[in-house]
Amino acid sequence: MSTILITIGFSLALAFILGITLGYFKEKFNVEKDPKVEAVENSLPGVNCGACGYPGCPGYAEAVAKGEAPVNKCAPGGKAVADALAALMGVTASAVDVVAVLACQGTKDKAGVKGDYVGVETCRAAKLSAGGTKLCAWGCMGFGDCVTVCQFDAIKIGEDGLPHVDYAKCTGCGLCIKECPNQLLHAVPRDRVGSMVICSNRAVVKASVMKNCKVGCIKCGMCVKACPEQCITMVNGIPVTDYEKCTSCGLCVEKCPTKCYHMLENITGAKRKAVVEA
Amino acid sequence: MNLISIFLSAMLIDNIVLMRFLALCPFIGMSVDPGKSIGMGLAVTFVTVMATVVTYPLYIFVLQPLNLTFLQILVFILVIASLVQLVEFYLKKKVPSLYASMGIFLPLITTNCAILAVTFDNISKGFNLIEAVVYALGVAMGLLVSLLLLAGIRARIKAAPLPKFMQGTPILFVATSLLAVAFMGFSGLIK
Repeated sequence: MSTILITIGFSLALAFILGITLGYFKEKFNVEKDPKVEAVENSLPGVNCGACGYPGCPGYAEAVAKGEAPVNKCAPGGKAVADALAALMGVTASAVDVVAVLACQGTKDKAGVKGDYVGVETCRAAKLSAGGTKLCAWGCMGFGDCVTVCQFDAIKIGEDGLPHVDYAKCTGCGLCIKECPNQLLHAVPRDRVGSMVICSNRAVVKASVMKNCKVGCIKCGMCVKACPEQCITMVNGIPVTDYEKCTSCGLCVEKCPTKCYHMLENITGAKRKAVVEA
Repeated sequence: MNLISIFLSAMLIDNIVLMRFLALCPFIGMSVDPGKSIGMGLAVTFVTVMATVVTYPLYIFVLQPLNLTFLQILVFILVIASLVQLVEFYLKKKVPSLYASMGIFLPLITTNCAILAVTFDNISKGFNLIEAVVYALGVAMGLLVSLLLLAGIRARIKAAPLPKFMQGTPILFVATSLLAVAFMGFSGLIK
């Protein structure tokens, strides 16, 4: 019994002494905290994940308050935190909400395969060992490395052998974009409208593209000629749309002989903002 | 055992990180560059020595007479945590840049097993107070040396082309194990 009492007494005394000492030193080494830093820190999630590249939330808060760091670096906080920080710092948030779009439509029945692939069932392994399973070197292999890496359950391999992104669930974290060995997934702003080529084949020989895949871009240039706004240019064998100029007229989609041009409105469900006439 | 041999054996022969595999968390986490390593090493040195100075008399003059030796883990951790808090206050005031760069690893010294191990060793090895302080200094210097060594190696690793599965922490553990093999060479230093 006495042991218990002594233990209690001793622990209380020790805690008391240490508490007093710490309290004294806290006063002595007191630092006036910048109220702005504190306000910024309070808006952060406080998970100290380090995704922003600063040592924990306090480090990032300090950098933001000093104006050294952009307000949109907090990955777990996302747009909400970026907006809150922007309001605190009096700047406009440049956080763009993006989604991942697959630039390949080489489904099982449309793109030819080299043969039966027997090996480790990941895209990366198939790419390393056989240079991909499709005849088209840029074709999606559909083993689902992007599915595995997705933390939000937003990608599924469909019946057609291609990954399908659920745009309601996609947060634009970019993990799948980094993972794809063929770099087929692209970060596209969620509200972007206009046409986009859903093909990544950069082979310059037209015949080889046609032989390998029924829906590959054959570099005919019809889209470039068809566009009334001259907003399409060929970059490394793939037509690229200038979204500043694109009016979603749909002429390139119509003209494309292999049907690899699509409107982003139909893919991600983005809506064109109504133009207010002045 | 004279003081020099206690110091050397604590620092090199029984190197806390490389031979006993304690304190691996700050070892991997804070060896990013030499500056951080030295900061961490000095913070650990201070906490280790102070913890020894406080816990040793506490054990000999309070816990033992009162038959409370079963409380040693609890009491020692309490003392170490308070000391770490003290270091945190001090660094925040005097060296804010180091405080910011150490981030979460500074409060983590609280649970640094190297420091707890030192306070237990002091008692189990039957040191007197001076020997205990020298031993604590030796262990802390051992941590500082190994941190600096790994920081140097990391500078080279940064420029090396590594396969993806080796990038980041895996290659650091490989480097650590090689360092540990090298440190085995010290084992015949003191008879």
